[in-house]
Amino acid sequence: MAEKNKARLTKVLDYLKYDDPFSKGVSFCPGCGLELLLRFIPRVLGNDIIITGTPSCSAPVLLGQNKQSWHTLSYFGTLMTGAAANATGLVRYYKKAGIDNTVVCFNGDGTANDIGFGNLSGAAERNEPFIYICYDNEGYMNTGIQKSGTTPYGATTTTTPYGTVHKGKNLRRMNLGVKMAMNKIPYTATATLSDLEDLAKKLLKAKKAKERGFCFLHVFAPCPTGWGANPADTIEICRQAVKTNYFPLWEAENGKIRMTKTVKKPKPVSNYTKLMKKFNHMTEADLEILQEDVEYETCLLGGLSVLEAECQLPVSAQD
Amino acid sequence: MNTTAISSNIQVITGNAAAAIAAKLARPDVVAAYPITPQTEVIEQISSFHASGDMDCELITVEGENSAMNAVMAASLAGGRVFTASSSWGLVFMYDAVLATAGARAPVVMVNVNRETPGIIAVSSGQQDMISTRDAGWIFLIAENCQEIMDLVLQSYRLAEDYDIQLPVMVHYDGFFLSYLSEGVEIPAQETVDQFLSVLESQPKRTMLRPGEKLGVGTHGILGGYMELRHKHVTAMERSKAKFDAIDQEFADIFSRSYGGQLEEYLTEDADMVLVGSGSMCGTIKSVIDEQREKGIRIGLVKIRMYRPFPHQALVKALKGKKAIGVVDRSLAFGFDGGPIYTELKAFETKLGGAKLVSFIDGIANTDITKTNVKQMIQMTADLADGKDVPEVTWVSYPKANKDKGEK
Amino acid sequence: MSEVRFHGRGGQGVVTTSKILANAFARTGQFGASFPMFGFERRGAPVTAFGRFSDKPVKEKTQIYNPNILVVLDPSQKNSPAVFDGLVPGGMLLINDKKNKGDIRHENLRKLAMVDANGIAMEEIGLPIPNTVVVGAFAKMSGLLDIDPVLEALADYFSGKKLDANRVCAKRGFEEVTTVDL
Repeated sequence: MAEKNKARLTKVLDYLKYDDPFSKGVSFCPGCGLELLLRFIPRVLGNDIIITGTPSCSAPVLLGQNKQSWHTLSYFGTLMTGAAANATGLVRYYKKAGIDNTVVCFNGDGTANDIGFGNLSGAAERNEPFIYICYDNEGYMNTGIQKSGTTPYGATTTTTPYGTVHKGKNLRRMNLGVKMAMNKIPYTATATLSDLEDLAKKLLKAKKAKERGFCFLHVFAPCPTGWGANPADTIEICRQAVKTNYFPLWEAENGKIRMTKTVKKPKPVSNYTKLMKKFNHMTEADLEILQEDVEYETCLLGGLSVLEAECQLPVSAQD
Repeated sequence: MNTTAISSNIQVITGNAAAAIAAKLARPDVVAAYPITPQTEVIEQISSFHASGDMDCELITVEGENSAMNAVMAASLAGGRVFTASSSWGLVFMYDAVLATAGARAPVVMVNVNRETPGIIAVSSGQQDMISTRDAGWIFLIAENCQEIMDLVLQSYRLAEDYDIQLPVMVHYDGFFLSYLSEGVEIPAQETVDQFLSVLESQPKRTMLRPGEKLGVGTHGILGGYMELRHKHVTAMERSKAKFDAIDQEFADIFSRSYGGQLEEYLTEDADMVLVGSGSMCGTIKSVIDEQREKGIRIGLVKIRMYRPFPHQALVKALKGKKAIGVVDRSLAFGFDGGPIYTELKAFETKLGGAKLVSFIDGIANTDITKTNVKQMIQMTADLADGKDVPEVTWVSYPKANKDKGEK
Repeated sequence: MSEVRFHGRGGQGVVTTSKILANAFARTGQFGASFPMFGFERRGAPVTAFGRFSDKPVKEKTQIYNPNILVVLDPSQKNSPAVFDGLVPGGMLLINDKKNKGDIRHENLRKLAMVDANGIAMEEIGLPIPNTVVVGAFAKMSGLLDIDPVLEALADYFSGKKLDANRVCAKRGFEEVTTVDL
């Protein structure tokens, strides 16, 4: 088993062709999924990417508020409202000026799914040639853990607290990845930190596909601080999210969905929820609602992948 | 689009078309377009130039004004020349990015076609959109007619992209009264515009965000560094006053049209009384002044062409020693007696050599600042000069407001 | 300076009538300003436009309240009080109406001109869009313009066969307009 893990690790390391542009001791919380992701991206894509980021958990490090530890990437600190439009402005000018570029528009779920969704949608419609990466930690963590559109059913946040009348979020989470895939953009994928080789492959596919236009990666990135999890469990949380189908791994080229990891015997969602405190209060009946939601989403995804496979992609959208 | 020249290079076009043609002549790299009444014709014209290959720019047909401003801000910071256009609610919807653009010192040029922005959704002219964004940190210029729209857009690029300035510039013109007005506009030759703008190429290159360079913009700054940047912003704004005057002079040498820079003074030298105004109303005021001058009334006009930074030094110089000054505002300031520009000028009252000030509010919600209204303003300013009792504020087209004064 | 008010309906090219005239004046070294009355414009709704034409630059940027020339493209509005509102003494009126008997009267009206602009337009362009006939008729009636600058101005608004047909419209308007001094 140890040998097998080591072999797998070596395989991931093969993708890390570039230096880590971030200094040590950056100010992320212990076990932060975002930090791992942020360090990983330029090591796979190169240090000549331009990364844009918003006020968010990424900001203190990405945008240099934490002056003692920083990075050496070109970066653009945008507003949450217009992140994808800022990236659009960059790539359009570089196109006009003939400057090769890889712009990575790197935002949390609050920007991607909520306040900045309009311009994300606009960039997808116009097929702007950049890579949009949403690190999804299921809420507004930097402002102190508030609910977002991707916060799951039942989860407690400071705006969906556990009370005598209302007990956590009583709404379903939105499926941002599927929403974006339905725009038929050149490349959409989900990824997470327990499957780094899968993530690396998808980053490289996105880099290639952005020559044809807009690419969107939806990356599940746990927040131990906000979720009430053990910082040491970050990767395990990701692993369980995949094994329970809470966060399935798939990709879509021009909207054609394909599972990149098929879970033959999905585990009950409680295997995942028990790893953090935000679901602690949930009864069996509450968990059943979440379980049904997960199964419904998985079924829908399966259905879409079958349907999309049957549908002939227009010639204009093919490579 | 008019393509056949009338005589030499004059075309009868709308204010919106003048803005679009000026943008084309400036050869921007990136244009963001989103429609709103009464600006829509600007982006339609640009889209048409783009479609026919007459305009070689990246045209981003965004999904909202907020994205328009964000896109051109980023393109500008990457090194591009940019253009966009909006009006009223559009300007408000891009407000966060308007502030960010100024703070990032991105030399964006845009036109804003002035339109009302209160909750009463008025598709009508008024400068409230401009007033509500006045301290965003942009240079604000205001045009009086279609020719001036054309000329100000061209001058804006020289001002915005000047190495010593590096600030965004917004050219304002009255919606409806200018946006839809067709009049003769002299359209300069492309080579002449290229020559006028070529000065920028001889200047040092500004910092540009390019791949592979260890550079960033939009840094999260706090404390001292932030203070430094803000103070630099203020001083750059102050520098833009003299720079604008100089650009106007240079423009005159090349295009044979001069406007006086920050202010245009119309028959002020021997005037006892002066009206202070901005935008399209100034044309009407001038026509009334012409009539009044024939009767021997010594009235003049100071037209504010640069509204931000506030040209107080030039205003004091132009107005010092006059008997009475009437300030015409096309917008409101809350908690003050009088319109916004009146209130701002009032802060310099002690420097005006005893000149008395009075405020006129007119032209909001598309009410027309008619010649009759202007005559009334001149009469009241004359009464003030003669020492008569004149109310400090008059809503010229709404007499009820003047009766209600002080009532709850 | 002539201050002209145009009355018509959306779809008749009312604003364009005023624009073409401003264009034609500019071609003679004079000055013209054309603008619509402000409000929503919809096909079929009454539309009012304005024109100021002068041998000196036009400074005024206000709407016109005391016109000296009225142009009525939509004959159904001829009895509307709005048409004569503010007309100054010595005024002129040009109406697009084939049935007109020359019986329009107003105390300030000194000259009445009539042209069957819809009829001519139907014959020449096959559409009841009277504006180019009216600009020709205006030139003749007002005595302010020759037909040539009008024909040249049309090239800024039409091209190809449409330009030719509309030039015929303008010429016929210029030739076929009848005037009555009152």
